[in-house]
Amino acid sequence: MISRDKIDEWIHEVEERPSSAGLIIRYIANRLSELASRDEELAAQNIELLSGRKVEEYESRITSLEYQLELLKRQLGGEVVLPTEMPSPTPIQEMINVLLYTPLGQVLRVEMDPTGLAPEKAIAKIAVEQPLDGIQPTVLVTSTTEELLFIFDSGRTVRLPATHLPTSNAEQLDWQGSFIEEPRIKEELAVIQPIAKMPIYETCIQASRRGYVKKMKTSFFTSHLDEDYIGSGVKLRADKTCGLNFANKDDLFVMVSQEGYIFSMQAERLPTAIEEVIRLGISDHIVAAFVASRKPSILFITQNGKAVHRDTSWLEPASSFKSKGQAILSKERREAGIRIVGAAPVDEADWGVFLHTDGILSAYKLNDLFARGSVVTGQPAVQILSFSVFHMPEIKE
Amino acid sequence: MGLKVGIDFGTSNSGVAIYLGDQVHVLPIDSKNLVPEVVKTILYITQDYRHFIGQEAVELYYKQNINRQRRFVKKWAGEIDYRGSDMHYVRDIYVYVDELQPGRLLQFIKTALRSEKYRGTQVFERYYSLSDIISAYLSALKQRAEALLGEEISGVTLGRPVIFSRDGEQDQKAQNTLHQAALDAGFKQVDFELEPVAAALFYELSLSKPQNVLIFDFGGGTLDLTIMRLGDPHHRNVYVNGGISIAGSDFDRAIIEKRMLAHFGKELVQHDPEIVNLIHNLPDWAALPELSTPRAKAELERVIQAGEAPVRLKALESLIFNDLAFSFYNMIEATKITLSSRGVAVASMKEEDLDIWELYTRSQFEKDIREHREQIEQVLMDTVTASDLEPAQIDAVVKTGGSSNIPMFSDMLGRIFGNDKVKASDVFNSVTAGLAIKAYQK
Repeated sequence: MISRDKIDEWIHEVEERPSSAGLIIRYIANRLSELASRDEELAAQNIELLSGRKVEEYESRITSLEYQLELLKRQLGGEVVLPTEMPSPTPIQEMINVLLYTPLGQVLRVEMDPTGLAPEKAIAKIAVEQPLDGIQPTVLVTSTTEELLFIFDSGRTVRLPATHLPTSNAEQLDWQGSFIEEPRIKEELAVIQPIAKMPIYETCIQASRRGYVKKMKTSFFTSHLDEDYIGSGVKLRADKTCGLNFANKDDLFVMVSQEGYIFSMQAERLPTAIEEVIRLGISDHIVAAFVASRKPSILFITQNGKAVHRDTSWLEPASSFKSKGQAILSKERREAGIRIVGAAPVDEADWGVFLHTDGILSAYKLNDLFARGSVVTGQPAVQILSFSVFHMPEIKE
Repeated sequence: MGLKVGIDFGTSNSGVAIYLGDQVHVLPIDSKNLVPEVVKTILYITQDYRHFIGQEAVELYYKQNINRQRRFVKKWAGEIDYRGSDMHYVRDIYVYVDELQPGRLLQFIKTALRSEKYRGTQVFERYYSLSDIISAYLSALKQRAEALLGEEISGVTLGRPVIFSRDGEQDQKAQNTLHQAALDAGFKQVDFELEPVAAALFYELSLSKPQNVLIFDFGGGTLDLTIMRLGDPHHRNVYVNGGISIAGSDFDRAIIEKRMLAHFGKELVQHDPEIVNLIHNLPDWAALPELSTPRAKAELERVIQAGEAPVRLKALESLIFNDLAFSFYNMIEATKITLSSRGVAVASMKEEDLDIWELYTRSQFEKDIREHREQIEQVLMDTVTASDLEPAQIDAVVKTGGSSNIPMFSDMLGRIFGNDKVKASDVFNSVTAGLAIKAYQK
C-alpha cells in the first residue's frame, strides 16, 4: 500500500530532516527483502498448486477426514456432534493397501509402508502352487483409510472399509486364505472402486467393457448406494460394467481399450442414459477408465511391459459419440499382437505396482520407469496382467 | 494511623509515591514493567472475578486470549416493556455472549470519568459500575504498595486533571466517583490535588528562588496547564488553571484514522454499510471488543467470499476476532513514541491473516495532528492571557507527561517562551511525586 502521495510525504520528511533518509532506506530495504522471500515462498506454493500436488494432498486429507467421520458415524449410530475443541491430531504413518481381486470375489490385501518400498523389486508374490490359469486378478493400490465399493456385473454393490479386509503375507499370497465377497448366481465381481473421495465430486461415471457410458449426479448415486444397487450400466447382454469414476463437469473422462484406442471427453458432455461412446472392434474391450485432468500425463502399459507415456494435452477429446477413438498403438504393433493392459493418469512422483503373470508384484518409481521405458518381466514368457498407481505420501519430519 | 501516599491515577499509566519529609520515594509498583515505578492503567478481570493490573494484566490477557477459540451462545439479557395507548406487552431481549471468553481487559478507565454516558459494564455475570472498576484497580495498587512498604496505607492524595468536564456538575460527579472508588478500595482518608499543581510541587524542590512557572502536563487523556508562583512554600500562588481534553490517545486515534483504516479495506469497501461501520469503528478502542459478534463475522465472511477486498477484510476479521485489538493499539502507541526520538518509524504488525507495514515519518505525524496542535496552542495562549502574565514573565515551562515529549510541542513551547525556559521534568513520575508531597503536607 505505497501510494505516490506517501512517497511524496517521505521525500518531504527527508527534505525537512535529512537524517531520516538513512532510516527510510533501511526500513524499505528490510521490507523489500522480507517481501522478496515471501514472494519466493508463494511462487513455490503456486508451482505446487499448478502441478496438482497440493490439490492431491488436500484431497487426500479430506478423504481421510471424511472416512474417519464416516467411521465415527457408524460407531455412534447416527450423526456426529463434533466437540468444539478438537485435540490436535497425532500424525498418522500413511500406509498403502495393495489389493488383488478376482471376478470370483476373492480379495487379497497387503498393507505396506510405502516409504520402505524398494523400486524395481518384487514386493509380493502369489504362491506358485496356485497358478493364475484362467483367473484374471486385478491389482489396486489405495490408502488404508479408503472405503471400497465392490461392484458386481449385475449392478449390485457392497461397501466395506479397506481395513475390514484381512491382511495377507506379502511373501506368500494365498487365494485359499483370501477374503471372499461371494458373487450371487451368474454374478461376477466387476471392479472394486475406492469411494472415499466421492463427496467432493459432482458426477459419477459408469463405464462398460464395450464402450458404453452413463453419468449421474453424485447425490443421486449416493442414494443408489444406500440401496446397494447402482444398475448394471450395460445395454448388451455380452457387456459388463468395468469402471466407476468421479469427476467434476470440466474434468476430462478417458477410456482406453485393449487394442489401444482412446476415448476422451469432458464429463459435462457425457450421456446421462447408457450410450455407446466409442465403437470398438469385435474382439476389443475397455481396460481402463479414468479422469485425466488432475494429472499432467498418462501412462499406458502393454502386456509385454512397455511403458508408453503421453502428456494429458496429447489427448484429443472426441467431438461425438460412437467414434473410433484416438490410437496409441500403430497398426503394425497392433497386428503384432501388442495389447494394452492398463492405463492411468500419473505424475512423476507417483509409483506403480505391476502384477506379472508369474504371480509376482513389483513396484516402480514412475519417473525411473519413464526413463527405462519398460517394466522388467524377468522371463520373456512372463507378461503384465494389471497395474495400479499410487501417490507416494510426503515424508514429514 | 497508617501511611499516606500520593497516587497518580493516569489515563495510560499510574504511579504511587510516598514522601516522609526528606525525599520522595516513587514505589517500584510494577516489577514486571520496564520502568517499575510506572504501572499501566489496565485492569484485567478473569472469569472467576480475580483482578490483575499493569504488566501482569497484559501478559495474562495475551496468554489467555490471542487466537483463542470463541463460542457464542444466546443469553437472556432482560426484557423491554412496550406500552401503547391500548396495549402493553413485554418482550425478551437476548444477546450473543462468547462463553469461552476467559476475561475482560479494561483500558483507558480514567477517560470514562469524563463521559456523561458511561455508567459501567457487564463483566460475565456481574455488573461493574465505573466506581467498581476504578476501585478494583486502586485496591490492587494499594495492596502492592502495602506489600512494598510493609505497612498499612490509610490515606491517599489522588491527582485529578484540571478539567474532567466543562460541565461543572459532570466535573464534580467525576471527582465524586473517583472519591468513592478510593474509599471502596480501603483508603480511609482521600483528598485531591490538581495534577499540574502536583507536578509544580515536585519541581519546587529544585528551586532556590521564587519563579513564575507554567506546568505543561500532557499525558494520555488530557492537557493540563497551571501557571503558578513557586519557590516560597508560604507564598504559593496559582494564577490560573486551564486545559483541554486532547492528548496521547487522540493522537493514536488520528494515526489509526488517517493511516491504518486503508489496511482494513477503507475506500475499497463502500457499498456494505455493516462492513463500513466495522472499519470506521476501529479507532474507538472501547467499541472494538463489541464488534466481535457472530453477525459481524458472518457478514465479513460473506463479503470475503464475494471477493470484495478479501485480503484487507481478512485482516479486519483477524484483528477483531483474534483479540488483536490490544496489540494493535499498543503498536500504534509505540510508533508514536518512536517518532519523538526519530524522524521515521514503522508501524508493523504480523499475525494470522494480518500483515501491516506502514512507514511513518514525523512530518506525516505532525500533518495528521495539525488540527489538535492548533487547538492546543490556542488553549495555551488563552491560559497565559488569563494569568495576566506575558510569556516573557514566565520564568520556566515544566513539561511532564508522556505526550510532552512530542517534538512538535517542545518546539511550540520553545518558540513561545524561549528554548532556555523549557525544562523537562520526570515525564512519568513528577505528578506522582508531587502528590506524595501534598499527601505529606495535609
